[in-house]
Amino acid sequence: MAARDPRHLFHRSGLRTALALLILWEVIGQLDLVAGGALPAPSAILMRLWIDGADYPRHVLATLYASAAGFVIGNLAGVLAGVIFALSPAMLRLFRGVNIAVFALPPIAIAPILALTLSGMAPRITLAALGVYFVTMSATVIGLSQADSRATDLIRAYGGNRRQQLRLVSFRGALPSILAGLRIAAPNAVLGAILAEFGGGGRWGLGAYLLGSLGRGEPERLWGIGLIATAIAGLSYAGFALLAGRLIGASRAVTMNAALPDAPTEKEHPLLAVALRAGMIALPFALWWMFIWGTGVPALIAKTPLGVVDYLFFSPASASARSRLLEAMGQTLPVTALGMVAGLGFAFLLAISSRLFPRAIRAFMPVALVTQTMPLVALTPLLVLVLGRGMSLTLWVTISVTFFPAFVTLAQGIALVPRSAQDVPRAYGASAWTEMRLVTIPASLPYLFAATRLTVPRALLGVMIAEWLATGKGLGNLLNQSRGFMDYGMIWTVAAVSVLLSVVFYQLVVVAERRVLRRLGMQTAE
Amino acid sequence: MTLRLNRRHFLGTAACGLAAAGLPLRARAATPFTFQASWINDAEFSGYFAAMDLGLYQAEGLDLTYLSGGPDVIPESTIIAGRADLTLTTPDTTIKAISEQGAPFRIIGAQYQKNPLGIVSLKSNPINSPAELVGKTLAVPPVNVISVQAMLKMNGIDVADVNIVPYAYDPTPLIKGEIDASLDFTTNVPYTIGLQGAEATSFLLYDYGFTTYNDTVVVTEETLKTRRADLVAWLRASRQGWTAALEDPAEWPAKWADSHFDGTGRSIENEIYFNTAQKPLIESPAGIFAMTEDGIEGNIAALEAVGIKATRDMFDTTLLEEI
Repeated sequence: MAARDPRHLFHRSGLRTALALLILWEVIGQLDLVAGGALPAPSAILMRLWIDGADYPRHVLATLYASAAGFVIGNLAGVLAGVIFALSPAMLRLFRGVNIAVFALPPIAIAPILALTLSGMAPRITLAALGVYFVTMSATVIGLSQADSRATDLIRAYGGNRRQQLRLVSFRGALPSILAGLRIAAPNAVLGAILAEFGGGGRWGLGAYLLGSLGRGEPERLWGIGLIATAIAGLSYAGFALLAGRLIGASRAVTMNAALPDAPTEKEHPLLAVALRAGMIALPFALWWMFIWGTGVPALIAKTPLGVVDYLFFSPASASARSRLLEAMGQTLPVTALGMVAGLGFAFLLAISSRLFPRAIRAFMPVALVTQTMPLVALTPLLVLVLGRGMSLTLWVTISVTFFPAFVTLAQGIALVPRSAQDVPRAYGASAWTEMRLVTIPASLPYLFAATRLTVPRALLGVMIAEWLATGKGLGNLLNQSRGFMDYGMIWTVAAVSVLLSVVFYQLVVVAERRVLRRLGMQTAE
Repeated sequence: MTLRLNRRHFLGTAACGLAAAGLPLRARAATPFTFQASWINDAEFSGYFAAMDLGLYQAEGLDLTYLSGGPDVIPESTIIAGRADLTLTTPDTTIKAISEQGAPFRIIGAQYQKNPLGIVSLKSNPINSPAELVGKTLAVPPVNVISVQAMLKMNGIDVADVNIVPYAYDPTPLIKGEIDASLDFTTNVPYTIGLQGAEATSFLLYDYGFTTYNDTVVVTEETLKTRRADLVAWLRASRQGWTAALEDPAEWPAKWADSHFDGTGRSIENEIYFNTAQKPLIESPAGIFAMTEDGIEGNIAALEAVGIKATRDMFDTTLLEEI
C-alpha cells in the first residue's frame, strides 16, 4: 500500500531514517535529556500501553462508535449536499456561507456549545460529523462536475435525461474523488469524537480516558493514549485508501480540498443574484436559530444570533462584555496572523526541502503524521517545559496544527511543475535554488494560495488551543473563563466570533487569490 | 461491540436492582431522578456511589440516574435544560448566575463544608501562605481565577505581583519546577506528586479568608417547588451514603475498581488518598450537607470580596431540617 502512495511518504529509505530517529528518541528518553524526562522513551510508552492494556478496549470502542456514527452521518449529508450542489449551482451559491462556516469553525469553540445543547453521545457524533461533512461534500461536487463530457454527450445523444447522465456517468466518474474524500474525512471524525469526549463528561472514550489520566503526571500514559488515537486515525485513513485502491485502482491526493467549487456564472436576473447573496449570508444564522429551536434548550443557556447581539450591545453587562471581547481579540488576532505566516513558511520550507533533500523529508513524515493526531493537551506539559508560556509556544503549537495540510498541498504543487520548464534554467547552469526561485515557486503559486486557504482556520484553532492550555490570554482563555462564570452570552459570542473571523480570513484569501491568479493567467488549484 | 457495553450496563443495573430487592420496606414505584455530578468519577463522589451500591436511593423511592461531569459540562446548565434534577456546583458560579443573570437556582446543601481548593507547592520550594506567592508563578484553572484573586486581595496582595498562568490538569510542570505552585483540590494532587518522588505542601484558600463551601447541592426553583419530597429523599440517602463512605475511607474505593472507578485512568490508591483527605472537609457536627448560619455568612462575606452579591435567601436550609 505504502509504496503506491504518490508522494512515497513511507519509502523504504524513509523507513530506515525513521528507525534511526526512533532509536535517537529512545536514547533521549532513557537519559531524560528533554525537559527533565517529560519526553518518555518509546519503550517506556509501550511498556505503559502493555500495563494499561485492559483499560483500552472499552475506551477505543466508545471512540470508534462515536466516530463511525459521525462519519456515516456526516458523509451522508456530505454526499447528498454534494449531489444537490452539483445539480443546482444556485443551491451551491446559497449554501456557500454555510459551507465555509462548517469548514472554518474551530472545534474547540464549538465543543462547549454542543455540550451545552446536546446530551449523551450526540455532542461527540455531531463534532465527528462536522469534521467530515465539508471534505466529502466538496469531493462529491468536484467529482460530479468533472464528469467526462464525451460520455454524457453520448447519453444525451441517445435521448438520456439528466438523471440518467448522473447515474450512468457522473456517479461512476465521481467515485474516485468521493473515496479520496472519505479517506481524508475518516481521521477527522476520530479527532472530533475524541475532542468532544474530553470535555463532554461521558465515562468511556479515549478523550475521557485522557482527561482522567492527565492528573497522574505520567507522560508515558498520555503518549500511549496519543499513539492509540494516532493508530485509529491512521488505520481509518489506510482502510479507505485500501478500499479506494481495490475499487478503482488509483490513489489520489492526501490533501483536503479547501476550494469551494465555484458555480458556473450564467446570465441571470440581477435580482436573483442579490437574493442568492443575501441568502448565502443569512442561511448560517438561520440554521443556528433552527438548531436552538430544535434542541429546545432554554434561552438562558442557548443564545440565538439576536441573543448574542443583545448580549453585546443592549444588555446591562454589554459594555464590559464588549471590552473583554475586544481585548481578547486584540491578543488573539496578531498572533494568529503571525502563526499563519509561520505555519505556511514552515510548510513552504519543508516543501522546497522535499525537492532538494527528499530523503530527510521522507524520514520526517512519520513524525509529522503523529503531530497531527496527538492530542495537544497531552503534549502541553512537554511544550511548556521546553518552550515556556510565551510567544514561541503559541507559534509552535500553531505551526504544528497548520503545517501538515499546507505542506502536502505545496509539495503537490511543486511536484506538478513541468519538467521542461525546470530544465531551462538548469541548461544555463543555474543552481537548484535559482531554478526554484525562477520557475518552481512562481509556477506553484496556485498551490500556495490553496495552502493558505487550508491554513487560515487552523491557525486560529492553534492559537486558541495555546491560549487555553498555556498562555492564559485571548479568545481561548476568554472562552474557558466564561464557562466557569456561566457567562453563556460570552460562550456563544466567542464561538460565533471565532467562526466569523475564520470566514472573513478565508474570504480575504479567496479574493486575493482570484485577483493574483487572474492577473497571472493561472487557474485556482484544487 | 456496543452490545457488550450495553450488556455491562444492563448487568450493573440488574445487580443494583437485585441488591435493592433485598432491602426491606422498599418503596415499590421508584421515581426517576437524575443527578449531574460535577466531574469524572473519582472519590469526590464516593458518598453517592456508596448510596447507589447500598440501594439507599431505591429505599427512598428514587430511581437514580447518575451523570458524570467533565470540563465542558457546566453542571448548572443541565438542570436549567431539564437534563438533570439536581447537581453539584461551585458556589461562586451559582451565586454569580443568580445575582447577575437572575438564574432560578437555590442551594439546598453543601458537600464540602470547607472548600478543598488550595495552593499546592513542593516542599523543596514551599509556599506556605499567600504572602509567599509574591513574585511566583501560579497555575490556576481559568474557572477559579476569580477565587484566587479574591484570596489575594483579602490578604493585601496585589494581584499583579503573582504571575497567574492556566492550569491544564497535569501536575508535571509543578513537579519539574516550571511553575512554583498550582491551584487544585488539596485532597487529590499531593498524592500524585508523592508518587513522582517529590513531596507536596499546601494550604486552603478557606484558611486565608476565602470561606466558601464547594460542591454545593443546587436545584432550580421549579424543582424545589414541585419535587420537594424527592429532594429530601435524595439528601437523606446521600447523607447515609456519605456516612458509609467516610466511616473507613479506605474501604470503599477498592470495591469500585471494577465498577464506578473502572477505566477512569486514575488509580485506586489515589482515590483512597482522596477519600481520606476529604473526610474532615465534608463532615460536620450538624450533619453532612449542613449549611449553618455561620457557614452561610462566611460564603456571603467571601463572595462580597469578589464583588458577587450573595444573599441569605439563595440558601434554602429547610430541606436539611426535614431529613
